[in-house]
Amino acid sequence: MAVASPPRPTRKSGLEAEQVLGKAYDVRLIGRLSKYIKPHTQLLAGWVVFMLVTIGFELAQPYLVMYALQHHIMTGKASALPVDALVFVGLVVGQNLSSFVEQWLLQLAGQRTMHGLRIAIFDHVLAMRAAFFDRIPVGRLMTRMTNDIESLNEMFAQGAITLIADAVKAVVIIVIMLRIDVQLSLMTFATLPLLFFLVEYARRAMRKSFRQIRVRLAAMNAFAQEHLFGIRVLHLLGRGKIAQQEYDEINAGHRDAYLLQIRADAAMYALVDAIAYIAIGLIIWWASGHRAQDIATVAIVVGFIGYTEKFFVPIRDLSAKYAIMQGAMAASERIFQLLDTEEFDGGVYASTTKVDEPATANKAAPAVELAGVHFSYGAEPVLRGVDLRVPRGATIAVVGATGSGKSTIIKLLTRLYERERGAIKIDNVDIRDIALDELRERVTVVSQDVILFAGTLADNIALGKPYDRARLDEAVKRVGLDRALVRRRADVTAKVSERGSNFSAGERQLVAFARALLRDPEILVLDEATAHVDPEAEELIERGVQELMKGRTTLVIAHRLSTIRNADLIVVVDKGQVIEQGTHDELVAKGGLYAALEKTFRRQD
Amino acid sequence: MLAAGVVMLVVTNVCYLGIAEFLRRSVDAVNKGNRDVVPSTVTLLIVFAIATAVTRIVSRVWIFNAARAAEYDLRSELFGHLMKLSPAYYRDHPTGDVMSRLTNDVQTVRAMWGAGLVHLANAVTAFATVLTYMIYLDPAVALLAIVPYPLIFFVGQALSKRIYRTTREVQAELGSLSARIQEDLGAIQVIKTYGLEDVRRAGFLEGSKRLLDKNMEAAKVRMQLGPILNTLAPLAVALLILFGGRAVINKEIEVGAFTAFSASLARLVWPTLTLGFMLALVQRGRASWARLVQLHDTKSDLVEGTGEPLPARSDPATLEVKQLTIKIGDRALLEDVSFTLRPGSITAIVGRTGGGKSTLVDAMCRMIEVPAGTIFIDGRDVTTIPLPSLRAQLGYAPQEAFLFSTTIADNVAMGYGGGTAIPAARRAELERVGAAAAAPDLSNEPRVTDAAKAAGLARDLVVMPEGLATVVGERGITLSGGQRQRVALARALSAQPRLLVLDDSLSSVDAETERLILASLRKVMTGRTAVLISHRVAAIKDADQILVLDQGKIVERGTHDELIDADGLYSELYRTQLDTEMDIVQEAS
Repeated sequence: MAVASPPRPTRKSGLEAEQVLGKAYDVRLIGRLSKYIKPHTQLLAGWVVFMLVTIGFELAQPYLVMYALQHHIMTGKASALPVDALVFVGLVVGQNLSSFVEQWLLQLAGQRTMHGLRIAIFDHVLAMRAAFFDRIPVGRLMTRMTNDIESLNEMFAQGAITLIADAVKAVVIIVIMLRIDVQLSLMTFATLPLLFFLVEYARRAMRKSFRQIRVRLAAMNAFAQEHLFGIRVLHLLGRGKIAQQEYDEINAGHRDAYLLQIRADAAMYALVDAIAYIAIGLIIWWASGHRAQDIATVAIVVGFIGYTEKFFVPIRDLSAKYAIMQGAMAASERIFQLLDTEEFDGGVYASTTKVDEPATANKAAPAVELAGVHFSYGAEPVLRGVDLRVPRGATIAVVGATGSGKSTIIKLLTRLYERERGAIKIDNVDIRDIALDELRERVTVVSQDVILFAGTLADNIALGKPYDRARLDEAVKRVGLDRALVRRRADVTAKVSERGSNFSAGERQLVAFARALLRDPEILVLDEATAHVDPEAEELIERGVQELMKGRTTLVIAHRLSTIRNADLIVVVDKGQVIEQGTHDELVAKGGLYAALEKTFRRQD
Repeated sequence: MLAAGVVMLVVTNVCYLGIAEFLRRSVDAVNKGNRDVVPSTVTLLIVFAIATAVTRIVSRVWIFNAARAAEYDLRSELFGHLMKLSPAYYRDHPTGDVMSRLTNDVQTVRAMWGAGLVHLANAVTAFATVLTYMIYLDPAVALLAIVPYPLIFFVGQALSKRIYRTTREVQAELGSLSARIQEDLGAIQVIKTYGLEDVRRAGFLEGSKRLLDKNMEAAKVRMQLGPILNTLAPLAVALLILFGGRAVINKEIEVGAFTAFSASLARLVWPTLTLGFMLALVQRGRASWARLVQLHDTKSDLVEGTGEPLPARSDPATLEVKQLTIKIGDRALLEDVSFTLRPGSITAIVGRTGGGKSTLVDAMCRMIEVPAGTIFIDGRDVTTIPLPSLRAQLGYAPQEAFLFSTTIADNVAMGYGGGTAIPAARRAELERVGAAAAAPDLSNEPRVTDAAKAAGLARDLVVMPEGLATVVGERGITLSGGQRQRVALARALSAQPRLLVLDDSLSSVDAETERLILASLRKVMTGRTAVLISHRVAAIKDADQILVLDQGKIVERGTHDELIDADGLYSELYRTQLDTEMDIVQEAS
């Protein structure tokens, strides 16, 4: 990676600022999420129905206990008890069956939403231009599609959505209590302000704490990761002790950042319980002072105790849910920042007008033409006014030293990067006026670093296009891949492992040739590999190259003398400029840079 | 603190019995019309409720803080260990894997210590106290009412195994989807130039769908746990209605006791429900612990020298290599290599790729283990010298320069043990939340500026936004390969080393810049012993001796002129010099 991306000292896009300090609720984010939830409205509607049924079954239970106490137990009707117990069991079973369906619907809606969101991120990322990938590390993009999606999903499983159910339940409990006894209810609700302050304290403490934890955890992990990557340097610098000190400093900060959160969490959990019992105490005290001492009072008190407990339990777990929500909101913020990045491939020059037919284009014009092309990676100029003409059907060889800008020409030609100045034309049509997919269909690049995908060899040659087995076999044969495969006793059904690691550099080259041949492109761009291969493979590759270039407009970044000598024109690039061009004999006679280079090529051959 | 926390938890559960007891008395008082005792029993009920809350807060704070403190120790210990492991270890173990141990596994273990311990201690004491209390109220009703609980335990355990299995399946699916994303992002240029977006998308869609299905499978198992436990636990209440109700009717127990039973059973529901969760926590925690122990037991293959450190001095070092042979399995990377670096001399090492140059450099810097009695610095066997002392003598500039995501000045200052390696962007964030002081600016430190100048960085610094204070890497600017090499060179120079090793450290620098650097280096190299590894003749021509390595052996040695006359491998390499330059073509991106 010798690329310097543009320096961005002042403005930092949100995507680069990994750190997001999310709120637990962000209306804007939830609004944006709803777009992805919407397709699953039916599931959510089903969830609401079952949620209400579950609550109904659950809240009938304390009522039944109250009823049994008042009408059977305290009045001595032992015969009714088995029925009471059975009804109770029925309520419990009903509640849980319904709850299972409720959870299932919610999970399904959540998982499908996440699936949709994952696809949306994938599509978006794939549509970004090449420079985007120079800047944003692969690991970060992966985190968006995996971990962040997972923490967003937690919101469905245990967070916001279940909060809705809790709220509905709380309202129903309040209504039931009010219907049973208004005064006792108000007694219970007298504790609510206390509860409100407690929740508010815990919320603030947690928010503050999470902010601290996030920053410190991220710092600690970034520090560790970099130190593991740079372990060699650290050893050589003898920096072990200093590294340990710096790490421990951040580590201690991370540990201490939890102090507040632990305190708030414990207070919330324990005090909500205490407040519930204070409410129960108040109920009993009020009932004893203001009510007739009768069976009904006792039953009501017991019933109230049941409801009060059910009312307080979800509040007690609020702090855990708060943590989940915070995580989910931070995750969705990061996801939307990625989705908001508008560095599309083709970008501002996205073409709307398609060239009708290559046939109508000017046949006399060169197939490929570069005029005064400038380009730089960041502040580093790479091309400084390159002129190049590739006549139809001709082979042009570009030679030059490391870093002369040869490979960059290819990237501009396929619009992986956009030229800064100058013109690039194909058949006299500016490549910016050709639709990207069409451009890349017409220009096929065989790069020196051949990437194979996991799958079969045939898949890797066909690359997703439906293919005729006979044509594929022919391509394999023509580039000599069949002979290489015989050497390893395999055929095109051979399995390719991740990144093609089970194939040698030479074999991968031949696969790339077969790929290109099958595509039968109008213009071939070949970046010859410099990898050292054994002589037998070398011979196969040389023949493969010849076969591939036969009768095709070819631009080749050449490293082999045979390729260069067979070219119709040789272009010598140095420091981002074309300094010589001509045929082999002309350039040798001229005695310039090519002549010097040529000597070394010859020795190598 | 952990033990105190657990004791506090026991106190909490005992206090809770007070709540149940005074609840019983209060209800009985209401039932029997003893209105005058109600205020006192209610007050005591509230007192116990508050006492329960306070002790619970204290126990949770103590236990969770103790777990965080233990996590700190664990991390610190592990990180220190990781810093000691040799580079060879990291060649065989992907950084991602090691990182995951330092992050995920440590967190899992902490969860076992914190949440796991709290739940376990709470479950045990809650059962012990509540059961005792219920038996005190009425043994018969108590035993009948708790009948469902053993069932709950077994069901919970059976399900938690299935949860564990399905969760692992989800993890595996997530892993393969991640691998797919990584493959796609790594091949983005091919995908774009070959128009493979649709094909790759289809594959991703399939993978994402599979993950969805696995997730639903796991969710289904997980969702069974709640309802099943929730069905079994209230069964106890049904039994209470049946038998407890009968007992009330038969005047065997009071209504208050019935209420206390009801409250006590409710009390047991939560510990029971969390039992499955807790078992999963402990299971995962133990697996993580095992991985951490394994990592911690890995010994570095570099044995720390036990002799005296080298005395501090500034004269050029003498280095002798005597019959050094290094083998991996049967293959000799270096064979019978002997040479001497005289103080103040410049030695160039050349050879083909794979000839053993890197191994030789690694051996000289003791980045790999060397046999005793083969390498001597100032006459001392390097294996007897403590590593930090040995490395303090060396300045090493590698081909693949690694820079930390901090300022250039910090990176340079690391050469002499200064600077901070905390990523600048992270440090800024820490400063913003008040968790760190601003890092000192080293961009005017003479040792840094001198080294930067000698390494030929001056021309680059002019165009950088903040000169030496410019941040590189994460959220900073990205340097070119040549710029990175020059910063690394400056870092090596800032150490004012007695032995300077330049390991092909100018390969990405263009010839003109190289000439400038070499000119200033010559100045820097005087008064130092220097080793140069380079492909470029310009760099090695003037060396006092040139060693030609091929297949692990020194095949030629002498000065440039001597070797050219010898017409051996060196002269061949020299003649194909331009060719070599062509060969190491690096993709421009």
